[in-house]
Amino acid sequence: MEKATVVVIGGGATGLGILRDLSMRGVKALLVEKNDLVNGASSRYHGLLHSGGRYAVKDQEAARECIIENQIMRKIGKSCVEPCGGMFTRLDIDDEAYEELWVKGCKDSGIEATPITLDEAFKLEPRLSRKHVKSAYLVPDAAVDGFRMAWQLVDSSKRYGGQVKTYTEVIGFDTVNGELRGVKVRDQFTGEEYEIGCDIAVNAAGGWAGFVGKLAGVEIGVQPDKGTLIAFNQRIVNHVVNRLHKSSDGDIFVPHGSITILGTSSMSVPNPEDTSTSRAEVESLLKIGEQTFEDLRDFRILRTFAGSRPLYIPPGGAVGRSASRGFAIVDHDNDGLKGFFTIVGGKFTTYRLMAEKMCNQICAKLGNDTPCRTAEEPLVEEVSQEDKDRAKKFFPSYGVNLAATRLGVDRFKKVVERLESDPESRELVCECENVTRAEAEEICKDDTSFIVNDVRRRTRIGMGTCQGNFCALRAAAVFSEMGVEPTAKDSLARLREFLQGRWKGIRPVLLGRTLRETEMTRAIYELSMNVKGGAPQ
Amino acid sequence: MSDKTQAIFTGDRCLSCTSCMANCPVMAAIKDYRGPKLVGPAHGRMHFSQEDIEATLEFCSNCKSCDRACPSGVAVSTLNMLQRAEYYKTHPHTQAEDMIAHGERAGKMVRMMPFGATFANIGMEFGKTLGIFSKLGLAGERDMPAYASTPFKDLYSRIKQTAGGKKIVMFTGCFINDNEPQVGEAFVKVMNANGYEVLIDKGFNCCGSPLVVTGYLDEAKQHADNNADRILEWKKKGIPVVTPCTSCSLMLKEEYHELFAEHKFHEAAENVYDAFEFLEILQERGEFNDNVKPISQKLLYHVPCHLKCQAIGLPAANILEEFGANVQTADAGCCGISGNYGFRKDKYDISMKIGAKLFERVKRKDFDKVISDCGTCRMQIHHGSGIKPCHPIEILAAAYQ
Repeated sequence: MEKATVVVIGGGATGLGILRDLSMRGVKALLVEKNDLVNGASSRYHGLLHSGGRYAVKDQEAARECIIENQIMRKIGKSCVEPCGGMFTRLDIDDEAYEELWVKGCKDSGIEATPITLDEAFKLEPRLSRKHVKSAYLVPDAAVDGFRMAWQLVDSSKRYGGQVKTYTEVIGFDTVNGELRGVKVRDQFTGEEYEIGCDIAVNAAGGWAGFVGKLAGVEIGVQPDKGTLIAFNQRIVNHVVNRLHKSSDGDIFVPHGSITILGTSSMSVPNPEDTSTSRAEVESLLKIGEQTFEDLRDFRILRTFAGSRPLYIPPGGAVGRSASRGFAIVDHDNDGLKGFFTIVGGKFTTYRLMAEKMCNQICAKLGNDTPCRTAEEPLVEEVSQEDKDRAKKFFPSYGVNLAATRLGVDRFKKVVERLESDPESRELVCECENVTRAEAEEICKDDTSFIVNDVRRRTRIGMGTCQGNFCALRAAAVFSEMGVEPTAKDSLARLREFLQGRWKGIRPVLLGRTLRETEMTRAIYELSMNVKGGAPQ
Repeated sequence: MSDKTQAIFTGDRCLSCTSCMANCPVMAAIKDYRGPKLVGPAHGRMHFSQEDIEATLEFCSNCKSCDRACPSGVAVSTLNMLQRAEYYKTHPHTQAEDMIAHGERAGKMVRMMPFGATFANIGMEFGKTLGIFSKLGLAGERDMPAYASTPFKDLYSRIKQTAGGKKIVMFTGCFINDNEPQVGEAFVKVMNANGYEVLIDKGFNCCGSPLVVTGYLDEAKQHADNNADRILEWKKKGIPVVTPCTSCSLMLKEEYHELFAEHKFHEAAENVYDAFEFLEILQERGEFNDNVKPISQKLLYHVPCHLKCQAIGLPAANILEEFGANVQTADAGCCGISGNYGFRKDKYDISMKIGAKLFERVKRKDFDKVISDCGTCRMQIHHGSGIKPCHPIEILAAAYQ
């Protein structure tokens, strides 16, 4: 039987943070995830590394945690954090008294909020509404790429012996006399069921924590709270732009690589798997968004997406926006199950801190007194300028930095070697996001790549302007050649599921130019290639 | 919000459909060019990631076939030219680039010397035979456009016109002024015949087209400001500005506002007409002088790319056909020269490869005359086929007797 000291359940930021932390402390840890990594709230989100400004009035403890973790992430996550800075803007319709509270709140929480003149604000963000914006402040917000961070956490964990099994679903627990002995899992592709022996299991399943708890016979107060977001085709903003008012829907814009993300809504849903979005939600987000950016509707929307915040609801606690963004650690020893922990709630920005606290408890149980070092050591090494310069000759323009931070030192070197030796591998699989065949091939071989969507999350194939129109076929072809069995051989199924994944987010925004684009995609796949499932379903 | 017709703004409309790549004559001629979509619109989204320049940007000839092919109204080629301007912010221009961008300056210098044109032409002849042009980075195979002994603006002052009637201002363009003044004379004759006195505004500059394609965007902006201000002055007086040069009219009408996004460029554009566009409007209004002797020639018409993308149809062909000409369009794509592009040594072969289909068509000689509205197209056809074309306005002028 496979064995680990600790099995971590859930491949979100929290679970991966725990895996890294434990591995760095010398604990043999293995993470299982029923889907691909960061399939839940850790990628279905804004991509915002909070400065804490968002919480400066309502929850100063959260605000303080944010600014500290923000500074740590900027230091250890240079390959996944874009230090674009943030701006808070108060509009004419927003409460002036709140601005005063907020300025004081920032000061008290240790967040540097620098007032700037409107002229400066319009210079920094030329598309801001001249009509509505009345005051502006700069804060140290940043953008963080959840996909990159996830696999960088994996890379870091692996260096210390950590293991990851994706598409491995927990189906039960093996307990003897109220003591945990192992976790029963099922391989999602082969259907094979087996047990992984362990001393401790951590339930870090986010929105799914309640389900996992049930398998172990314990109850966990987690309420999935769905947030819908819109991705625009270009960078509309240079900074994270927040509304300076009491936190509400649709009031944050984040420049996320080549795109901009606007969100979010907040809606309690029974099932964390519910990532549906609707035309009505899009309309309501746009309506709010255009108060800050009057020309918002002129910008092309790529898609919408939704994810569920796993809000921790203590017995009798509030839900939705009023629910705390804090987190809780539950030792189920108190429920009569030794060796089982749950960590729930919190937010992406403070994932590391959550992991640290969780690991402190685990290590205390294990009698391991190695201190936490996750705040000091960078997630991954940075690609050297020398390697980047060498790569420039073969990479598409504007592609080197992005590929270097996506791939990390070793994979980047391998990709450059491929590009050097095989000119055909310089072809672009994805033209919108500048992904070469060499990079796609390298990622297809990775041990977490089972379907084309897994390659997409790693490379951004299919996430740009054409939303899979031209790259779906190429990506599926590369995958069927380089990917693992049993999934790679059914290339048509892979192509269909990739296309359907793209269309899922496009359906609620089927208007204007997005509609034109989609009609072309349909014409190519459904009509010309007769790919069943080539149309939105 | 800035002007939504500005090129930068139109980039967001790209659906990535690849029509531009399928219609790019440069891509068809050389596979090294990664194509309009990737250089302009697609890369526009990626500039945030690092300071960089698309290595194959230099291949774009700004012929604008991509703009015409685009079903979404993206100003693809202008996006490329804006990128080219970025490139030259950190890279020096070569001497050859300086020369081919500043034809207006060279023309003025030549005219300052007695017999300047003669000496300049002899000099250019030597330059070609001795391989000096080639050493500079110019296409040594080509004749540089020869200077006319008298520039059009001097010829113009000798033309007797009836004053007091309707007026237009002629935007002469550098090539007609310095190299083909006979086109200017024909233009004046046709306009006079239609009851228009032709005025010249000596305050106009070169339209800026050669500056834009060679990355002198700041200079081009100065030209644009000056020209647009003057056009607006004429607009106030109710006098339209008309030009027989296709690339000039395109620049004044479209490229200024795509590049520089100021409202005044839209306003100025409303007062600018291509020569035959203007004549066709007269015809529609019933004001066209049709006292023309029948044109019995068979004409092969090479429609310039820069005319096609003005979306005004083929007014020259319509008018000449009306008076009996048998006009056949060459239908052989871009001629390849695209302004000063084909004068670059390293682009000469591409330019000739693009034009090959047109040269073949012209060499069939199943016509009396080749016509084309664009000066550099005419040069290229002459160079590639040995047959010298003329401007359609020259045909029409000859028919007014």
